[in-house]
Amino acid sequence: MAGKPGTTPTTYSPSPTTQKTRRPIFNENDVDWVRPDGRGFHQCRPAFFRTGAVNAASGSAYAEFGNTKVIVSVFGPRESKKAMMYSDIGRLNCSVSYTTFATPVRGQGSEHKDFSSMLHKSLEGAIILETFPKTTVDVFALVLESGGSDLPVVISCASLALADAGILMHDLVASVSLSCLGKNLVIDPILEEESYQDGALLITCMPSRYEVTQLTVTGEWSTPKINEGMQLCLDACSKLAKIMRSCLKEATSTSQE
Amino acid sequence: MEFVSPEGLRLDGRRPMEMRQIRAEIGAVAKADGSAVFEMGNTKVIAAVYGPREVQNRSQQINDQALVRCDYSMANFSTGDRMRKPKGDRRSTEISLVIRQTMEACILTHLMPRSQIDIFVQVLQADGGTRSACINAATLALADAGIPMRDLVTSCSSGYLNSTPLLDLNYVEDSAGGPDVTVGFLPKLDKVTLLQMDSKLPIDIFEKVMQLAIEGCKAIANYIREIMLENTKQLEYRRGI
Amino acid sequence: MVGLSLGEKHFIQGGIAQDIRSDGRKRLTYRPINVETGVIPQANGSARIRMGATDVISTVKAELGKPISLQPDKGKVSIYVDCSPTAAPMFEGRGGEELSTELSVALQRSLLGGKSGAGAGIDLSSLVVVEGKICWDLYIDCLVVCSDGNLLDALGAAIKAALSNTGIPRVQVAAGASGDEQPEVDISDEEFLQFDTSDIPVIVTLTKVGRHYIVDATTEEESQMSSAISISVNRKGHICGLNKRGGAGLDPSIVLDMISVAKHVSEQLMNKLDSEIAAAEAGEDES
Repeated sequence: MAGKPGTTPTTYSPSPTTQKTRRPIFNENDVDWVRPDGRGFHQCRPAFFRTGAVNAASGSAYAEFGNTKVIVSVFGPRESKKAMMYSDIGRLNCSVSYTTFATPVRGQGSEHKDFSSMLHKSLEGAIILETFPKTTVDVFALVLESGGSDLPVVISCASLALADAGILMHDLVASVSLSCLGKNLVIDPILEEESYQDGALLITCMPSRYEVTQLTVTGEWSTPKINEGMQLCLDACSKLAKIMRSCLKEATSTSQE
Repeated sequence: MEFVSPEGLRLDGRRPMEMRQIRAEIGAVAKADGSAVFEMGNTKVIAAVYGPREVQNRSQQINDQALVRCDYSMANFSTGDRMRKPKGDRRSTEISLVIRQTMEACILTHLMPRSQIDIFVQVLQADGGTRSACINAATLALADAGIPMRDLVTSCSSGYLNSTPLLDLNYVEDSAGGPDVTVGFLPKLDKVTLLQMDSKLPIDIFEKVMQLAIEGCKAIANYIREIMLENTKQLEYRRGI
Repeated sequence: MVGLSLGEKHFIQGGIAQDIRSDGRKRLTYRPINVETGVIPQANGSARIRMGATDVISTVKAELGKPISLQPDKGKVSIYVDCSPTAAPMFEGRGGEELSTELSVALQRSLLGGKSGAGAGIDLSSLVVVEGKICWDLYIDCLVVCSDGNLLDALGAAIKAALSNTGIPRVQVAAGASGDEQPEVDISDEEFLQFDTSDIPVIVTLTKVGRHYIVDATTEEESQMSSAISISVNRKGHICGLNKRGGAGLDPSIVLDMISVAKHVSEQLMNKLDSEIAAAEAGEDES
């Protein structure tokens, strides 16, 4: 590789992954800038889903989007712990946690505290809670590697796991996030792109019902930009939902054989 | 360090027997059953009372009395250096217990069996004497909530620096390391319900210091009574009486 | 809070459908806003906002610190919300933590912009003292004293008022510091720099009850909501942050409609807030 700094060390030492100064990965005036992994601006990473990853759980799913790897397991419906609080609809309990090796720098947890409540909000609109009164469904998500766009992958994987567990839902929930870098809108950003973003948009929707269950916008946006961003995301969500559906169908057809 | 100058003035210009300026306001938190704000100089405290209401934790229910609970917390910005962990530290737990015991002694708990009274105290600004301000605020809040009490509980602190008994210490005088006596007093019944002291004092000087604190409590009791009368007049006016 | 009976629920929903709410307001009217600045003299800046029964206090404390190595020309801001047990008995101990985290994250999202710092309401580069070595750390601490719905709007307004009341002390840097040494700084007690708050956005929460949107919901109205969107709009009319709460799904066209309604309401709110803050500061100067 041309331009490698320094001489090769005689004893093993880990390669320096963090640099003191940061070169911007894009130039504002550069019109035909290509993303680091070669995708187009409106192209998502190839998605890989597999259900039935965890045997002990009622339902589970594993998702891999480029470098982002997530595994979700669903337990339930099982008896509510707080038996004194009677409720005639079911309860949903979500928890998102990161492994210590998920991020390049060990144990960075400050941004992820609210992911559990965001996952809860995204899913509670889709699950038909009236079908399991007095019980609780637990959704546990574990991010094995964080490669950008973590929360959307967690949400999509969680809805697959819920489907695998046989919980009744109105529709599958698909989620996509969008980054604004300068004037360009890029879908499904990777970690590097996320750290430079000027704004972010996260949409969770139920494609066949055409309903948005969760929407978060960060940074400064003008209305036409939000319009464009939402349209892009909704299209991407419907494509993602098709992939999720085909994965579920495959899983059932292989188990039937 | 000189806490009392040769002319007899303290660091903030007060005389040794002079209290800081007190100000109270009833009904600060609209949603609570009773609430009050109490200021002693720069120390500012909000108290809110919720109750009597149903006991939340059945196992704690007492069949012939009301359960009194208290929670003391300081805001992040209340002290000069920003506090990182405002809740759950040992000092807060101790002061919560002290306030609870003081108020429980004067509330007529046998009139409200199987119920719960919650007293929440939040310190907005701390400049010495937070314990006393909290008790005074709690008294006003309980009165605002209409909870039957034997008498008003007022509290004041006093200390002994540079061979002078001082009334109502502020933060600088408190952290000087000298003795700090906090007294909780029932003015009409003329009884002491709380007595705490840090550091050490010879007995005869202790009596003088405690007497000084009791005088301070009586003065606060007069002020509290005025405030409550004023508040009742306001309520009558609003009712059209 | 006592639960609502079926009759009361119908009353609230019916009233909103007819554009008359329980306290007589129209759907897009705010409750009277009361602003007091300088309530906590120990902090660099503070404000107390009352919107009806909702009461929040916000303070700003500035301390000297080291900038992050990846962004040496920017200061740091951290926002923290604490729900006091005086607001509701269930906030005692750890009970209010979930709500506090949710509010803190929502406020950070609205006021601090994207990761690269673009679109932030607060100009972080004005906080730097010596590039790469010393910068101001702003700690914005909010306390919810009484909660009667619409906490996010009240907190956003309180932060705006507190920041306009903030004075950052002038710092004298000793010349001749070189390399990695920490330069000597002399914090002056006299001179203060006022913060420029014209760019700080306001947060407008639109609550959807039935088929209509209301602004500034009380706790009873919030219990009837199907979903709510909190939109943070700045003076230029750009959206600086958006959060959706509530479980029900929303059609995307409804979302865009709510955004346009919010922009319209935010102009009035911003003007009202600015005049109230100016009045509060003038009142404080006189006293």
